[in-house]
Amino acid sequence: MKDYIATIVKNEKIAENIYAVTFDVGEDVAVRAGQFGDIALGGTRLLRRPIAVCKAEKNLVTFCYQLRGEGTRELKELGAGTRLNVLMPLGNGFYVEENEKKVALVGGGVGVFPLISVLRAYGGAKEISAYIGYRNAAAVCGTEEFEKANKFVAVTDDGSYGEKMNAVQAFEKDLANNRPDVVLACGPTPMLRALKAVTDKAGLACYVSLEERMGCGIGACLVCVCDKTDGKKARVCKDGPVFNANDVLL
Amino acid sequence: MANLSVNICGVTLKNPVIGASGTFGFGREFNELYDIGQVGGVSTKGLTLEERAGNPVPRIAESRGVILNAVGLQNPGVEHFIQCDLDWLKSTGTCVIANVAGKTLDDYYNICKRLDGLVDMIELNISCPNVKSGGMAFGIRPETVEEVTRVAKSGAKNTPLIVKLSPNVESIAANAQAAERGGADCISLINTLTGMAIDIERRKPIIANNTGGVSGAGIKPIAVRMVYEASQAVKIPVIGMGGITCAEDAIEFLMAGATAVQVGTANFTDPLAMPKIIQGLNDWCDKHGVENVSELTGTLQLNGK
Repeated sequence: MKDYIATIVKNEKIAENIYAVTFDVGEDVAVRAGQFGDIALGGTRLLRRPIAVCKAEKNLVTFCYQLRGEGTRELKELGAGTRLNVLMPLGNGFYVEENEKKVALVGGGVGVFPLISVLRAYGGAKEISAYIGYRNAAAVCGTEEFEKANKFVAVTDDGSYGEKMNAVQAFEKDLANNRPDVVLACGPTPMLRALKAVTDKAGLACYVSLEERMGCGIGACLVCVCDKTDGKKARVCKDGPVFNANDVLL
Repeated sequence: MANLSVNICGVTLKNPVIGASGTFGFGREFNELYDIGQVGGVSTKGLTLEERAGNPVPRIAESRGVILNAVGLQNPGVEHFIQCDLDWLKSTGTCVIANVAGKTLDDYYNICKRLDGLVDMIELNISCPNVKSGGMAFGIRPETVEEVTRVAKSGAKNTPLIVKLSPNVESIAANAQAAERGGADCISLINTLTGMAIDIERRKPIIANNTGGVSGAGIKPIAVRMVYEASQAVKIPVIGMGGITCAEDAIEFLMAGATAVQVGTANFTDPLAMPKIIQGLNDWCDKHGVENVSELTGTLQLNGK
């Protein structure tokens, strides 16, 4: 973990409401799949924006973000050459165990980007199937990455791209013919909840990456907690963002 | 090199910069970024006798220049702190200030008694705006400020007691004097101002608790004014806080009457804020021919006086 002074190389729209910003952080950086960075916008924005790393190659780190509020709208206006502080890598990230040969990625909305980092980390070494749900054709992005998976199923809520269904339905439909050893997921909480019902029924291990409004981003302030099944709290930023789906209340 | 050390109630801090309660945990996470032994002190996450789960999420929101939080005193309980964190925190070499909260007078007595002699100082949280029972209720009126201070001090006989004051009150000077009368060795201020931020699409407050404590750069002028008023009203030392982001901000508080300062929200914006402030204090003192940072305390000269 280090607070990098990062220079924007590229910051562009990749789909409706979705942007990708690539930083040169000045040195080679090792980021695990599913980890995130905390981006300081400066000025009157006192909270950093925690965003999952989509791609990290040597000194170049790419984050994809959805326009949500004033902060992300400010971020999209920043051009190449702008310097921002980026604290990273943060959080635990996704792990795929040695004995888990077949991996299913299930993602929806802005949750698809951490899954790209999984594909980049484990592609080739594992047999990966990606089930990705978008709102509509205009929201489709990252397909050039997901095409590298052993299997890629893209679906949309309105059927304007791929079949009309959600990512969990796409995963479930394929389950009998393509049973994975582990399921890794990121997306809206209702999606994760629906997925857990499916993986529970099928007896599959499932890991989910959670999102929550954060304060410090490093585990000190106890702002971004989630409820665990044992009654305790966990810090999404430090103990997560990736949790075994059995350990947290979705 | 200026001498940055300050003395508060007989406790020497290597510099006047303290991590504010609730923003710094017990120091372990920030210690992954820098040696926290270099900061003057750490005020711990607010401790209660029993573990507390805190408020539902979301617990934080942002507005220009400020943030709002309502964590609700989530903490592992004082015993857990003593068993698992205290020795480590002491070993870093920073001054350990245990921030404590309670629901009843007995709670305040018992937690102070439990920590008495174990930590360098105890900071009484009687001004948490985010929990319904206790806390804030004690911090509003001078009578209850005095009473809870007296009870807490009877538990913390051998440990300097800091009373942290709420700004959400009628007269900060009256409450500062009440703490002094109750036996406080020091006061710290300001805690957060109660506020609200609304998600207009949902027509609901962003924070689950509806209201939250406002902190950050935007509240600094209010805090400086209150630190000035409080320090004029009491003889005991004052620790100032509220929106401190850089060394120059810290110096304003010292001039207004503070002996030391706490840094809170700035730790979120820049996790290296405190080492930078300490370095900046040294540089400012050197540039201005100030040999001891303690010389700055209370040197404010009002216009027209």
